[in-house]
Amino acid sequence: MKKTILEMREITKYIFDAFGHALRGSTVRILDSVDFDVKEAEVHVLIGENGAGKSTLMKILGGIIPPDGGTMKLDGKEISFSGPRESLHHGIGFIHQELNLCLNLDVAQNIFLGREIGKKLFIDKKNMYARSSEMLAKLGFDIDPHTLVRDLSTAQQQIIEIVKVLSYDCRIIIMDEPTASLTSTEIEKLFEIIKELQKKGISIIYISHRFEELKEIGDRITVLRDGKYIGTVPIEEFDYDQIINMMVGRKLGAMYQCHHVPTTEKVLEVKNLKIASHTKPIDLYVNKGEVVGLSGLVGSGRTELAKSIFGSRTYFGGTIRYDGQVIKKVHPSQLIAKGLVYLSEDRKLEGLVLEMPIAHNITLASLPRLFPKTNIHRGKERTVALKGVRDLNIISNSLDQLCNTLSGGNQQKVVLAKWLLTEPKVLILDEPTRGIDVNAKSEIYRIIDRLASEGVGILMISSELPEIIGMSDRVYVMRNGTISAELTEKEDFDQEKILSYTLG
Amino acid sequence: MKPVKIEKKHVVYTLIVVVFIVASSFIPGFLSIRNIMNIVRQSSIIAICACGMTMVIIIKGIDLSVTGMLSFCAMINGLLLLQGWPIPVAMIIGLAAGTVLGVFNGFMVDTLGIPAFITTLVVGNVGGGLALLLNEGRSIGGFPDAYVFMGNGTILGVPVSNYIMAIFVIGTSVIMAKTRLGVYVYAMGGNETVVKQQGISTSMINYFVYGFSGFCIAMAGILLSGQLDTVHPTQGEPYQLDAIAACVIGGVSMLGGEGKVYFSLIGALIIGVQRNILNLLGIHPFYQNIFVGIIIIVIVAINIFKKNRAIELSKVF
Amino acid sequence: MHSADNSQIKDIPSVISNALRKFVKANGSVVIFLILWIVASVFVRNFFSIENMLLIIKQAAIPTIACLGITVVLMTGGIDLSLGYTLGLCSISVGLFVKSFGLPIWLSIVLTLLIGIAVGLFNGVLVQYVRVPAFITTLGSGFIIFGLAQIISSGSDINRLPPAFRAIGITEFGGLNTTVVIAIVTCLVMYYVLHRSTFGRALAAFGFNNRTARMSGIKTERINVMAYVICSFLVAIAAILLTIRVNCAQPTMGGGVYTFEVITGAIIGGASLFGGVGTVIGSVFGILIVKIIENCINLLNVSYYTYQAFQGIVILLAIIFENVKNRKL
Repeated sequence: MKKTILEMREITKYIFDAFGHALRGSTVRILDSVDFDVKEAEVHVLIGENGAGKSTLMKILGGIIPPDGGTMKLDGKEISFSGPRESLHHGIGFIHQELNLCLNLDVAQNIFLGREIGKKLFIDKKNMYARSSEMLAKLGFDIDPHTLVRDLSTAQQQIIEIVKVLSYDCRIIIMDEPTASLTSTEIEKLFEIIKELQKKGISIIYISHRFEELKEIGDRITVLRDGKYIGTVPIEEFDYDQIINMMVGRKLGAMYQCHHVPTTEKVLEVKNLKIASHTKPIDLYVNKGEVVGLSGLVGSGRTELAKSIFGSRTYFGGTIRYDGQVIKKVHPSQLIAKGLVYLSEDRKLEGLVLEMPIAHNITLASLPRLFPKTNIHRGKERTVALKGVRDLNIISNSLDQLCNTLSGGNQQKVVLAKWLLTEPKVLILDEPTRGIDVNAKSEIYRIIDRLASEGVGILMISSELPEIIGMSDRVYVMRNGTISAELTEKEDFDQEKILSYTLG
Repeated sequence: MKPVKIEKKHVVYTLIVVVFIVASSFIPGFLSIRNIMNIVRQSSIIAICACGMTMVIIIKGIDLSVTGMLSFCAMINGLLLLQGWPIPVAMIIGLAAGTVLGVFNGFMVDTLGIPAFITTLVVGNVGGGLALLLNEGRSIGGFPDAYVFMGNGTILGVPVSNYIMAIFVIGTSVIMAKTRLGVYVYAMGGNETVVKQQGISTSMINYFVYGFSGFCIAMAGILLSGQLDTVHPTQGEPYQLDAIAACVIGGVSMLGGEGKVYFSLIGALIIGVQRNILNLLGIHPFYQNIFVGIIIIVIVAINIFKKNRAIELSKVF
Repeated sequence: MHSADNSQIKDIPSVISNALRKFVKANGSVVIFLILWIVASVFVRNFFSIENMLLIIKQAAIPTIACLGITVVLMTGGIDLSLGYTLGLCSISVGLFVKSFGLPIWLSIVLTLLIGIAVGLFNGVLVQYVRVPAFITTLGSGFIIFGLAQIISSGSDINRLPPAFRAIGITEFGGLNTTVVIAIVTCLVMYYVLHRSTFGRALAAFGFNNRTARMSGIKTERINVMAYVICSFLVAIAAILLTIRVNCAQPTMGGGVYTFEVITGAIIGGASLFGGVGTVIGSVFGILIVKIIENCINLLNVSYYTYQAFQGIVILLAIIFENVKNRKL
């Protein structure tokens, strides 16, 4: 039996801001009493859907954000980190998905950044480069430490990160989706390294979505779901269906209301659209009064597809037909005027002007329609905005309240109010319920249902399978930048099935 | 798929070769050693400013305080000289004034988070105002001979100014290439998050870089006053754009993280040569401003265009 | 569940104090102006007189026009460092048109304003489409414009402009002149544009968050370019008036010092360097504050150069203050 070196108990984290501080008065838990442990020289795989809390848990372990509750023990001693550096000095290295390297520096400079070899101010270059070569060679790599990191392949850059982390004498290395941008030969190479590290007694926490990888290198698998710990399975007991089952759970409830009846009149049709030069073409359509779910992992191209339709991103060939007309090279403003709108997944960056009051945000997308003579009539603006606030039950002190003082759910409702005011015929919703509490969620579902009943075609992008299943009339699944499946019958909607198309 | 890589240094080399060929074939007297030494002497002011500016631009900043600070430091130094202070003491005080203002720039940028261009603009203007105030807007001149020798004298046939310039360029280059500080400066231009994660104080880097830039500007001002034997409260004005242009021509990227002091020196020389040629040809200096202005915009635009394209190409699914 | 806009009526003093607090917060420069004005009236001899007040207003009129221009650019989150040089270019242009070429007055003015618009287009297009940072673009274009101004003037000034042309700016009535009237009209127009029109709303949204603005159907590209055009256009107006006032068209008119004075006014007036924030009232009083300080320094017989150094320190304080205030929020 291998020795347990790291224990995390009952880790809790509330929804937080960019600095890792809990948002004021928030009750949304990203992590809810999660337990996790790591044994010596094992590869512990951490899986779960998007938003299950894997990254948050690892950020806490990596010292990037503090936990709001729970304890961490390393070798039986309780620990807490004030920053990533401290975590590193405790022997926990974090290799992020977006690599943390200075591309403009060379390999040795990156490895030794902040701890250059040399006396006082001057660097002992000879020594430093020799040490770097040595360290690279130990892992079986022949990379010249003078090479600029920019000129390396992604896989090689990853190796530099590993070497850098190892040079801190790390015993636990966190790898966040390390294979996401690697070719298959590079992946094999990476696995060799991982096995090599294992032999040296180093433990790896491995986050991935690819099941075939897990079987190859994993020792144990821990599943998280909705911020909760679901269970840990040794690899010998690996069972595909069981794992998927653990990932999705059963939680379809009365939250979802579907009173609308879809028509068969196509309002939005996408044909042969390629979102990147090398991806396969996409076909997709939305009928009037229909809610179409678009499922898939973050990074599978869902947002890119939506933005291509909305005219805020260039795409590579294909036609988009809206309301019978082909639309090509348009500015979002033209589409909004015609009734095609897109609610972004990032409401702070692309949905709201946080520094502006509610009223101004609600009317922002309808300015030309409301005030064709360019003169803003205050009375009219307030009436319209107030109607939006009442309709969507936005809780606020006044129409003049700035949006950055609202809760996430109310912010999202402001964005929704803004789009509803444009009287859309097609509404593309990108993660409409991300980071908001349960009440606000069910209200948003009600609004979606109501809109569909009124004949609006809705394309709903979501990582939450229950939401997709509960709300949609039809479901598309995306993987690797293209659509991997279309499910047309409600009976076919099934979390396991969708997930298997998602993961491939 | 890889696009043809045109490196900045190739552009710089080509530019300088073209300029030299054109100049020497059209202008009699251009290729004389004396003229070249003279060009280098005139360029030394730009080059010294460019030493600090290179570092500032590498950390994605900009120093617009050259205009005012150059005159201010020279004015302090000059007034002290005229009061009979020993040359080294006056110079040290002048240099210290520049460094202090520079560090203050760093403080505003780092600790208060105010954009570099406005911080340095304001500090430069305060400096310029003080330069006017110190002597009621009048010029001063008639410095001790030893001081003027620093600007105009020669040792072994090479102007003293050129030695000073060499010291600055080599010194900066050593800092950038051989010391921790240099690596941190580049690292901060490349990826500030990583620098912070490694526990390196970005404040320290900001203070150092802007302080160093102030120091260089002060030295340039002092040297200029030696060359002209005059301090005029607005004589810093032309050097603002020239210093930035020298860096930009020398391939220092406004996007941060890229650049070598030697290339900035070449950039300074190119500007010096350009001015010299236009002078020899009798073309009005007004055209020079237009030329320099256009060159900065064009080169920065190319850098940004290239970067945007690289981002486009790097997207994967 | 309560919704927006039904704040109960509280006791009247608190309503007044709330309104006052809101006003002070939004119009800090007005308060600073009043304080300065009172202090100056008490302590500076000859300050408190109608003539002096009118003088300050006259002196503030032209920079106010330019300041409203830079306010628009600051609201986009950009900056125009070429402003002072544009002023010089427009000044020498109008002088050439009206005197050397002997063009009709109206045509000279139209052409000059067109030059202003062209400069703005140049800056705006570079910033928006070539994506060169605003301070680099305008620093570079400033030198280009300065060079151009010098070349077309051959380095010399144009004196003694036609009286009919001068009449546009110096016709007096009621102690004020037409320049002040033009400035007031400009303020009113800009007030409408910035605070009452969809353009102003879109501009603010763009300045705060250009991605949201674009995704909300605002033609951000057009807004950004327009901001620079409006700025340079107003600067051209200021240039014509200033040329009239000093009765001399100079390529060196304005320059970096003028740019700086105008930016100072806008910043003291509360315009944010990060975009989105800027008001007409703020900028007007910002310039008035600058001019009161200048006036006092004159009256106190202190060297004019003190003013320049002092102005820098004032803007420094304004920036630091703004920054500290924003941090607390």
